[in-house]
Amino acid sequence: METIFEKSKKGKRCSSIKPLRVPTHTIKNKYTRGDLNLPEVAEIDLVRHYTALSNRAFGVDTGFYPLGSCTMKYNPKLNDEAANLPGFTQIHPSQEVETVQGCMEAMYMLSEQLMEITGMDGISLQPSSGAHGEYLGLLLIDAYHKSRKQTGRTKILIPDSAHGTNPASAAMAGFEVVVVPSNADKGVDIDALKALVGNDTAALMLTNPTTLGLFEKNIKEIGKIVHDAGGLLYYDGANLNAIMGIARPGDMGFDVIHLNIHKTFSTPHGGGGPGSGPVGVKTALFPFLPNPSIIKTKRSEFEFKFLESSIGKIGAYYGNFGVYIKALAYILTLGGDGLKESSVMAVTNANYLKKGIADLYPTEKGRHCMHEFVVSLEDLKAKTGVSAMDIAKAMIDRGMHPPTMYFPLIVHEALMIEPTETESKDTLDNAIKVLRELYELALSNPQALKNAPATTVISRPDEALAARQPKVRG
Amino acid sequence: MSNYLSVTDEEKKQMLESIGVKTADELFADINKDLWLRKLNMPDGKSQQEVMEIMSDLAAKNKVYRSIMRGAGAYWHYTPSAVKNLAGRSEFVTGYTPYQAELSQGVLQSIFEYQSMICQLTGMDVSNASVFSGATAAAEGILMCEGQRKKVLVPDNINPETTAVIKTYLSRKGMEIIPLPVVDGLVNYDALRGMVNQEIACIYFEQPNYFGLIEDAEEIVRIVHDCGGKVVTGCNPLSLALLKSPGECGADIAVGDAGCFGLPLSFGGPYIGFMACTAKEMRRLPGRIVGETLDKNGKRAYVLTLQAREQHIRREKASSNICTNQAHCALTAGIYLAAMGPNGLKEVSTSCTSMAHYAAEEMVKVGATLKYSEIQNGDVIKGEFFHEFVTVHKGKAAKIIERLAKDDILAGLELDKNEILWCFTEMVKKEDVDAAIEAVRRG
Repeated sequence: METIFEKSKKGKRCSSIKPLRVPTHTIKNKYTRGDLNLPEVAEIDLVRHYTALSNRAFGVDTGFYPLGSCTMKYNPKLNDEAANLPGFTQIHPSQEVETVQGCMEAMYMLSEQLMEITGMDGISLQPSSGAHGEYLGLLLIDAYHKSRKQTGRTKILIPDSAHGTNPASAAMAGFEVVVVPSNADKGVDIDALKALVGNDTAALMLTNPTTLGLFEKNIKEIGKIVHDAGGLLYYDGANLNAIMGIARPGDMGFDVIHLNIHKTFSTPHGGGGPGSGPVGVKTALFPFLPNPSIIKTKRSEFEFKFLESSIGKIGAYYGNFGVYIKALAYILTLGGDGLKESSVMAVTNANYLKKGIADLYPTEKGRHCMHEFVVSLEDLKAKTGVSAMDIAKAMIDRGMHPPTMYFPLIVHEALMIEPTETESKDTLDNAIKVLRELYELALSNPQALKNAPATTVISRPDEALAARQPKVRG
Repeated sequence: MSNYLSVTDEEKKQMLESIGVKTADELFADINKDLWLRKLNMPDGKSQQEVMEIMSDLAAKNKVYRSIMRGAGAYWHYTPSAVKNLAGRSEFVTGYTPYQAELSQGVLQSIFEYQSMICQLTGMDVSNASVFSGATAAAEGILMCEGQRKKVLVPDNINPETTAVIKTYLSRKGMEIIPLPVVDGLVNYDALRGMVNQEIACIYFEQPNYFGLIEDAEEIVRIVHDCGGKVVTGCNPLSLALLKSPGECGADIAVGDAGCFGLPLSFGGPYIGFMACTAKEMRRLPGRIVGETLDKNGKRAYVLTLQAREQHIRREKASSNICTNQAHCALTAGIYLAAMGPNGLKEVSTSCTSMAHYAAEEMVKVGATLKYSEIQNGDVIKGEFFHEFVTVHKGKAAKIIERLAKDDILAGLELDKNEILWCFTEMVKKEDVDAAIEAVRRG
């Protein structure tokens, strides 16, 4: 398909603004630019172009999207409409505080609810993504240790099953990363952890349920080991969708957490953002939260509060405000009972799907998964040459988005499957049928899978070529 | 009361049977019993209608002004109907990061086109797919310059939000901010000459700066490059429809916030941080980058590329931790730029600067002074500015702001008790500018 630049014809116009009613100001030549080559198209060209692009995209609204670790649940339309109310969209961030009480109240309400859901004592909404939240959480941990004159705590412990953002955030926050191996149960290896913690430990970062979709049974013992060594426990909230209303990271012993609003709380991913990654803390870390925080006065008015001990700011203004409105609408709609029911259904759906394919696609045995599960196609690949990637690409031809591939790194030929709570039994039954058929096909005609996908506008792009000879602009 | 589930009670029963459990509680057997929560202490669910009422009531507690003359980092602009409509298509809205290229050519191509537009505007070779905001883009841009050299020159005429974020990002990286003196609102070029040395990793400055003034970017680049330092320019991308691009000025990295391209004010976000750089810096650029390639049948295709920089491959050695960015905002900005085209964008930019100059000149006539600029007979003889400027008043700034608020107009931002930072855009009506001038006259 042509790019919008290739469709451009000199002299075409789409949008226009009102005529200028004051004298035209001309900026001096010394400061002005040469050519500006942007596309020139008519409105119908513009509309056809982006409509065609949208037809080449796939969202939750299009079909089943079991992308593990990403919680691709349905994104309610009510939430979008609420965020688009002019009383929110037309508010300037530097307006006087008495004119933005509605925005502040919404942020306050959302913070209170997230604190209750997670069992934490304070929340900052400022981070704009999960990784941004991790970064902030680690800065808070650093500030906490330094305030206690513990300047030697330079290491962050991270399980080998963790998301790549964990070590990357730790490095950005100036920490050294120490990898903690997994045990046979795919949980944290307790003996290894005991050997690794010490007076240089700043924190252990943990995802629970883990990236294998399993609840970390030893969580309390892990917490004790880290706390006894003077370290803190950090919670990566990527998988909170399994346990809302059932168990809370705050009660498990976590000191600092981040959430992924765009996963757990149904705000749309937008093809990679905007998201939101609030950070929750226990009281001891309260003084370091980013400025400003919002407080409610005795007269039920809202004020910004700036703390001297704060780590400062990690984003402009108050973060991705529009995303908060969507999450708030979602939480109000579901309420405490609905959130719990969502988690129960997310876990039920995952176990049902797992049960339907586990005889063909090996996964953890002997225990129930949480909201997702990871299968390994290592044996299938050895037998037939068909890889996790081949199965994933063949799913596309059958109308569904593939699961997350090749993650976590500790499982070979991994597919990570997260159906979410909003999918129907019919959708899951169809997915089971398709995955079983693909397995049979792998045995009978592996080449058919190597050729997949066959129904898409392109197939198996050459990624090596893209990286070797980068062409990153038109 | 409402939920978004799609399984009947009967189906749920069947599913639990198939799994081999009597109740769903059994699925949570791995969770230690003493961690089980009795009940969340929050209200039960509500109908969709009630929720919409609550949200509307909250929105109604905010003050929506009919005219906004405040910028300082967040700008009020016109968005064509087609932009909102197209960006709202749900295939764009409800997709994840385009990991599966075959299902995501639309999103990938939209990002590729956005990158191309940002390269055109900034005069750079490479753009990423976006970061969170102009402030984090500035911080990440500076971190790209980290090496043996650890000092960063930053003048205090930049957006204070950006200063705060830069401080945070640099604090744990062993990079030191060296404040750069400012004279008449502009970077002090003589002081800069005296401050550059072999320890300077880069300079970060803004064009136009926080006070709306246009810096002599080429002079700054010359001075800093002479000592082997790099140049990170923070720019308002709308001004680039008229102003010399960072690329033309010789900068190494250009960053900024493109919220002005079709995104609502929305109390500060989501906006979109853009980052672009020269080919030489490409492999240090953080974030997603979309590249063109060929598929197995030789067809043109788009993929996420140069991923060896990124966290999911490099983990702690990645150029940044960024994963989720502001992709949908980049899509919106791209559609906006295509809708406006080069001529439309120049018109918007010209309208902004013309409205600002009209307002500034008239405010001077009624007794205000310009803090950094002088205008004579429509000619700026000192302190060239784009669409923001600072006035000094004999009376209190707060009084002028209050007076305009009563008239439903959000005046400029109070910088000091008798100073106001104004911003005028294509949205403001001439009658409202005249009302602002009258408010200034009355003091």
